[in-house]
Amino acid sequence: MFKRNNELKLIYILVFALFAIFLLYPLVLVLIRAIQTNGVISFDNIIKVVSKERFLTSLQNSFLIASIAALLSTSLAFFLAYTVHFTAVPKAFKKLINVIATMPMLMPTITYGFAIIYTFGKQGVFTKLFGFQPFNLYGFNGLLIGYLIYTLPVAFILIKNTMTYIDKKQFVVSILMGDSPLRRFFHTIFRPLVYTLVIAFIQTFFLSFTDFGIPAAIGGQFEVIASTLYNQMLGSIPNFHNGAVISLVMLVPSILAVLVVRRIEKMNVRYENISEETLPNVKSKNWICGIGASLIMLGIVSVFAVIFILPFVKEWPYNIGFSLDHVKETFQSANLLDVVKNSFIVAVLTAICGTVVSYVAAIISARGKMPRFITGSIDFISTLTNALPGMVIGIGFMFAFKGTNIQNTYLILIICNVVHFFSTPYVMIKNAFMKMNLSFETTGRLLGDSWFGTLRKVMIPCSISTVFEMFSYYFINSMVTISAIIFLVGAETGVITTKIKELQHFAKFTDIFVLSLLIFVANIMMKSLMNHLTKKESEKRYYVEVK
Amino acid sequence: MLTLKNVNKAFGTNEVLKDISLSINDGEIVSILGSSGSGKTTLLNCLLGLVELNSGVIELDGKDITQLPIEKRGLNIVFQDYALFPHLSAGRNIVYGWRNNPSVSTQEEVDALIDLLDLREHLDKEIHELSGGQKQRVALARTLTLKPKVLLLDEPLSALDGVIKESIKDTIKEISEKYNLTTIIVTHDPEEALTLSDKVLILDGGSIAQYGTPQEIIQHPANSFVESFILRQLHVKRDNILKLFGDQHV
Repeated sequence: MFKRNNELKLIYILVFALFAIFLLYPLVLVLIRAIQTNGVISFDNIIKVVSKERFLTSLQNSFLIASIAALLSTSLAFFLAYTVHFTAVPKAFKKLINVIATMPMLMPTITYGFAIIYTFGKQGVFTKLFGFQPFNLYGFNGLLIGYLIYTLPVAFILIKNTMTYIDKKQFVVSILMGDSPLRRFFHTIFRPLVYTLVIAFIQTFFLSFTDFGIPAAIGGQFEVIASTLYNQMLGSIPNFHNGAVISLVMLVPSILAVLVVRRIEKMNVRYENISEETLPNVKSKNWICGIGASLIMLGIVSVFAVIFILPFVKEWPYNIGFSLDHVKETFQSANLLDVVKNSFIVAVLTAICGTVVSYVAAIISARGKMPRFITGSIDFISTLTNALPGMVIGIGFMFAFKGTNIQNTYLILIICNVVHFFSTPYVMIKNAFMKMNLSFETTGRLLGDSWFGTLRKVMIPCSISTVFEMFSYYFINSMVTISAIIFLVGAETGVITTKIKELQHFAKFTDIFVLSLLIFVANIMMKSLMNHLTKKESEKRYYVEVK
Repeated sequence: MLTLKNVNKAFGTNEVLKDISLSINDGEIVSILGSSGSGKTTLLNCLLGLVELNSGVIELDGKDITQLPIEKRGLNIVFQDYALFPHLSAGRNIVYGWRNNPSVSTQEEVDALIDLLDLREHLDKEIHELSGGQKQRVALARTLTLKPKVLLLDEPLSALDGVIKESIKDTIKEISEKYNLTTIIVTHDPEEALTLSDKVLILDGGSIAQYGTPQEIIQHPANSFVESFILRQLHVKRDNILKLFGDQHV
């Protein structure tokens, strides 16, 4: 008994130390910078920044566009998820929706911006095909499309998951009760989903509000808070104090969001049973949803198509014959190959370290039978990392570790990513642990296992599919992220996304798309590999059971 | 009268219901008894209108309802897990369908129903605050306010404990008698089927093994399936209980 507790305590101390040094300390520094002028604590700095008109405009812009994007994205995601769950469109079509709606996650947001330019811009694919430019894309319109594509996957996954937990029998009951279609929709679908819809809105708002990649590519004169912050920190006349203040402002909506989510938790509808009841097949509904979903998917694909076309034509838009020249060029450039190598190293190491950290953290909080303040503190860290914009983490790290040994190393990038993306894998594995039989550890010990023995022989095998999922989550996110690490890369440690930002200044868009494709392919391969491993693992276990 | 004529249903090549024909008189309680895979759930879904027949006809009071959508058939169901709306109170669940169709029942009738099912004191409770038996009764009330011609009950007793089980049995009989309501119960438990119903339909592999009163089934089992799977179970149960009470009860 005592022995096991000691192991867990040691792990807890290590995990807590990690987050104290690499999360709390940098955040405190941001706070101090914001409220300190020449060594004296005062709010002058804050007042000065906040009263600037330019800042207020960018803040207003951010609120406006993020709200509209969140509303649209949640609605579109709802429509797609509804089509998957509540209509009888062909199975293959549902699969296609799943693939296309989540595809944007596999690419960096900065790429979307350039893709939009090459689709709807003066030289864009759309403009060339139809002979006119549909709208002015720099600024509001372009940003909105970018944010929509960026946030749709998150909203879709959230809503789709909750829909699996809706009791479909209610639908039959509602029909038998003589409900009008509207009342049926309200009671059997909308009401049970309200909580998730609000969460989806908040999440997508937050993502748009804090995203750096899209405004970097396509913001134009329409300044949002992310671009203002970047200019303060890495622009021509850096002002770290102002940067710190803007970081704090960026944090406010996140904190509000966390509070709102806590408050509305009781709106969550929980069914006691979930059943897959056969739903009556309504042909008109299938057609309407099928066509609507096709249009949404067409929209996504049409923006992405250019990424797959441009690298393989001779010279867009003048000579559109097939050619591999650009791809070859990219692969011959030692400079570009270096960033590819860096990206892979950082992503793989982030995935390994991140999976280990979130795994052991979840063991403590879900299986450790630890006092409340310990499990609570880990949950708090998870909520905090979830609410923290990447840019704020990046700036905190910049303040904290400039001039230390880890500046300009892989290590700082890896730690930054591990902390930044901690929340989701932690919640994934924690949920898996909660569902696991509570007597595993005791049984293991009674059968003579050491604590690590039970971990290796029981806990890990039983949660292996979640481990694969966590690994691929960390890998993919560290491949596509830019917001935090843009502040941390050194001359030798640049990764693909930060290189893309650099290439923008030289207008090397073909290179940008080739690199983005590389990220995309790497992420697809990682996903398939993890799916394959999960399948293999479950087959293996099945075999053992049958025997 | 509910009549099924040569009903067939297959999913792909898998024939789930084979040539089912039977009729049920008004006010009768009929149990559909079978093990899993016997086709009893599919038969229920066919009656309800959730699943389309491959061939055959379903008639209610001489009217062909085979092609009617589920809300127009005059049948209603209480599901095994009750499917109560979790975001509404017990009372609001009860009047849910009645509010769509206020002309079907009068206020007095709904009140009488609430009292009959002994739900008066639970109306303001949330669904998760109710016991299994109370949920069952709320679900019954919700369905009965719409005055269905035929009431379908999917495994109505399987989620309940011993004593509650017996009292719900009585409630079902009472309702059926009072409203002259044709009641069809799906179950896998022979004891339930034979003690609760006027007639029992035994399904085996998608076909009717026997359809008759409990007495007929006990005294003249139609084939070896009924004998070995249904009756033997009851014999074992009876013997165990008799052993428990000793000789004085034999």
